[in-house]
Amino acid sequence: MAAMIAGASPSLAQQTIRVGWTIPAEESKYWMMRRPAEFPDIGKTYKIEWTQFQGTAPMTQALAAGALDCATQAPLSLANGVVGGNLKAYIVAQHVFEKPGGFSVYWAVMDDSPIKAIADLKGKTVGISVIGGGTQGPFNLLLKQNGVDPAKDIKLVEVGFAVSEDALRQGRVDAVNMNQPFAARAEAKGGTRKLFSLSQAMPNIVHILEACRADFVDKNPEVVKAYVRDITSGMKKALANREETLKVVNEVLKAPIPVLDTYLLKDNDFGRDPGAAPNFPAIQKMLDIYADTGMLPKLDVAQFKHPTIVAPLQ
Amino acid sequence: MTRRAAPVLACVGLLAVWQIASLALESDSFPTALEAIRTIPDILGDKESLINILASLRRMTIGFGIAVLVSIPLGLSMGRSRAVAAFFNPLLMVVYPVPKAALMPIIMLWLGVGDITKTLVIFLGVSLPVIYHSFEGAKAVEEKMLWSGAAMGLSPLQRLVRIVLPAALPEILTGCRTGLVLALITMITSEMIARQSGAGNILFNALDMGQYDTVYAMIIIVGAMGICLDAAFERIRARLVRWSEPQFDMPLSFS
Repeated sequence: MAAMIAGASPSLAQQTIRVGWTIPAEESKYWMMRRPAEFPDIGKTYKIEWTQFQGTAPMTQALAAGALDCATQAPLSLANGVVGGNLKAYIVAQHVFEKPGGFSVYWAVMDDSPIKAIADLKGKTVGISVIGGGTQGPFNLLLKQNGVDPAKDIKLVEVGFAVSEDALRQGRVDAVNMNQPFAARAEAKGGTRKLFSLSQAMPNIVHILEACRADFVDKNPEVVKAYVRDITSGMKKALANREETLKVVNEVLKAPIPVLDTYLLKDNDFGRDPGAAPNFPAIQKMLDIYADTGMLPKLDVAQFKHPTIVAPLQ
Repeated sequence: MTRRAAPVLACVGLLAVWQIASLALESDSFPTALEAIRTIPDILGDKESLINILASLRRMTIGFGIAVLVSIPLGLSMGRSRAVAAFFNPLLMVVYPVPKAALMPIIMLWLGVGDITKTLVIFLGVSLPVIYHSFEGAKAVEEKMLWSGAAMGLSPLQRLVRIVLPAALPEILTGCRTGLVLALITMITSEMIARQSGAGNILFNALDMGQYDTVYAMIIIVGAMGICLDAAFERIRARLVRWSEPQFDMPLSFS
């Protein structure tokens, strides 16, 4: 079938999608990168040129500049691209979100800390992975709801997830945000406790999704369809075969399998939609929170919806 | 014997200080020197890691090579022509203090995210010290030598190649040596934001995942690459400009 498509449309056969990716939590793309033989269209219907980025914000820049065709995005970075960079893009799939009962990014304090509630953060030094990043909207909202002004009442400092546990234990911060796999490691060691999590601001927070430039999608709909079909299929493979997914993720992240095994695709991990379907209502709610907290103007998620090209595609 | 042992002793001393500091601080993000050293065979024994490191070295070699080829003639011309110097000096002074890695996102917008962008960042990092040292070297050439050359019938280009270039060579090679170190630095920093392969790939992935033994092992590997490249270059430099060396010898490198 792929050969027939390729034969019928030479331009389609030659088409390369320039895709940006990052780590962690993009299992469907890791499968496509590391097990391309499992995806018959890759290399036949279309090719992928993978480029790894340090976070989603530079990928937004690259999308806006036309240096990438599709990339991993956080709702905030994508919206910033629209507002500040005139980016027009479609959300074609979703990677991870905070499923109820699953892992939610949380702020931790030391067990013996006098901070017992969000209101106790007044006057304290609080760590956040990226100031102005995707977690700050719900974080600001929770603080405001508890009588803490995030601009005046706390000293907010940027502490990357990888060093957050260390910063907390050494007393450089009074509270800090935790993400997997670092949260699992800190919990295993003990001595810290959860103060609050983002899920208290809203359920189903979407952390990362897949977006493609609108002009690229409009010009190459069949190629993008094939790409979204593979993301859908990659997500299914990732969820269906955890043992192999651990190996795939280990190859990409170079993190030891025993470390990944403590959380990956378990109850203490983020949620993944089996069809990689974007949760547009949840994304809209996040955009509303960013608008309410002054991080963005009001935006309608409908502008990111393509009528047909969106996961799940079979 | 003491002269040859000094650089080794300096490295051993540095590792000892690192080991003691790490044990004293007891921080997960600061592994001991021994832990980092123990990780090196894992990295160098992994085929994919070697491919990554070689990809970085390939870009570095191309960037360094093109920079040297462009910068030496430009620097020499600037040193011997006021008009050329007056034109290029202000441009170089503007570009010189800008951190080359900071140009990466801008260059990425023009040239995409591939090898050309990273090689260009390396080229920019290397070319400025080479131009500056070539310029200074050419400027210091005695006028009398050039007059003699002119009296013997040498054209301006012949004087540049046969008199200015050899006379400025010690200074040019000093610039190249600085450029070599900068090539290594920009090689890694050019892979910080966007990458398809490279030593920075290993380093920054490990940093994102909190695998600090790998991060520090990569720092040691990059440091060792710097020492080896510098030692090899210093040997070549010493052969080429033996005539200009002082009588006493100071152990500045492993060569």
